[in-house]
Amino acid sequence: MSFLGQTLAIAAKDLRSEVRSKETVNASLSFALVILLLFSFAFDPDSDQVREIAGGLLWLVFAFAGTLILNRSFARELVNDCLDALIASPVSGAQLFLGKCLANYALLMIVECISLPIFAIFYNVRLPQRLALLFLVMLLGTWGLTVIGTLFSAMTVNLRLRELMLPTLVYPLLIPALMGAIQLSTVLIAGDTLGEQNLFWFRLLVAFDVIFTILSLGLVEIVLVG
Amino acid sequence: MSPQNYTFMFYGFTVAWLIVIGYVISIALREKKLRAELDRVKRMVEEREGEVKK
Amino acid sequence: MRLKIILALATLSALLLSWDLYRIFLQVPDEASQGAIFRIIYFHVPAAITSFAGFYVAMFSSIGYLIRKDLRLDAAAAAINEVSLAFATITLVTGSIWGRVIWGIWWTWDPRLTSFFVCWLIYVGYFMLRRAIDDPTARARMSAVLSIFACVDIVLVWKSIEWFRTQHPGPVLEIRGGGGMAPGMEAPLWWNLLALLMLSTALILIRMRQEAMQREIDSMRRFAHAF
Repeated sequence: MSFLGQTLAIAAKDLRSEVRSKETVNASLSFALVILLLFSFAFDPDSDQVREIAGGLLWLVFAFAGTLILNRSFARELVNDCLDALIASPVSGAQLFLGKCLANYALLMIVECISLPIFAIFYNVRLPQRLALLFLVMLLGTWGLTVIGTLFSAMTVNLRLRELMLPTLVYPLLIPALMGAIQLSTVLIAGDTLGEQNLFWFRLLVAFDVIFTILSLGLVEIVLVG
Repeated sequence: MSPQNYTFMFYGFTVAWLIVIGYVISIALREKKLRAELDRVKRMVEEREGEVKK
Repeated sequence: MRLKIILALATLSALLLSWDLYRIFLQVPDEASQGAIFRIIYFHVPAAITSFAGFYVAMFSSIGYLIRKDLRLDAAAAAINEVSLAFATITLVTGSIWGRVIWGIWWTWDPRLTSFFVCWLIYVGYFMLRRAIDDPTARARMSAVLSIFACVDIVLVWKSIEWFRTQHPGPVLEIRGGGGMAPGMEAPLWWNLLALLMLSTALILIRMRQEAMQREIDSMRRFAHAF
């Protein structure tokens, strides 16, 4: 099988198992709803303030809910030594990693696409005409989140405090991507035009995605196998 | 020079030095602990070797 | 032999620091707008440079470990990162105090301080990771990968926070009060940097010796249990 074929097979396996059980997506969505609820207590949801921090709120929800999905990614392989079996199989570390990234990406995008309209309803935010651009920002930002999250999921899979270590390690590293996504989302949701200044954030997001995808693909073999 | 500025400057320098000294002390304590552990393990090895020889 | 080097470095740095303190307090005049607190720069900046340089040297040591699989390189990386983390803490605390005097608040989201805080968080995570892994080889591997990720990421963090601050102007800790320092004032900064670099090297060498001791303990314990 080709590189892509094996990668897609891994991705399909993860997605199939998730579609059958639906446990991770449900947990993630519930968590997203809870966070949206909690934020509503932090400040008055009707005020104009929301427009200013809409992007930040949205991506905090995505980041927190996403961690649940990313944590499960390699953790689900621990049962019955599945992880050892996968590592021993002819599938290379990079293929295993990329396959899981694609699956996680799909799951994350599903959760985000459901959370976005709910967010708009809860916080009385009119979603912009340029929804396509917002969607592009979500695509770029989520990939950055996925790549780093999946790699560190592999790194922390055998640790006792896995659920604690993953967010602790991942969030500081994600700051450039989150900043870019937040800035762009805030501008887009507010309906302003994307000026020269904001193109920097697009470039940053793309650079972040490219750099860390390459770095992860290069180093994942070391993390998984040694 | 305003006296307030002076106070803070001394706080600043003091804190910086305290952190350095604190770190050096933590290193020294670790050294003591490691030496004790090393001696303990050495003794344990000697004991075991002694038992085996019997 | 090693011990002599460590002792020499430590003494030299202590002497240099004392001489610098003398110069800083008694010879350098006050900076026009900031007054006395300005002198904190003579520790804040060298500490920042020392820790930053340390993180990057540690990254090369980590890469060296991945290539050669020599645990001493991992020990070096861990030691360097630990000392750098200590100096990063000093940078943050002195920066915070500086901000307190200039802006009246204990913390300020000045781009350099913010980037440093992110850096600090990442390396705290580094040591949490090391503590969580028992097997030395796995620990070395994972730390090395994290170190590489961290150093690549820090560049992006720096750039993004800087850009954020140009879009949303906020507090900036002034290093060069009004375009360049007078020549007499700049020298202690570089001497202090040299002193801190020597001090950190001494501390790193001590830590590396401790790591070697730990390895010896581990191997002896394994030997003892083999009976």
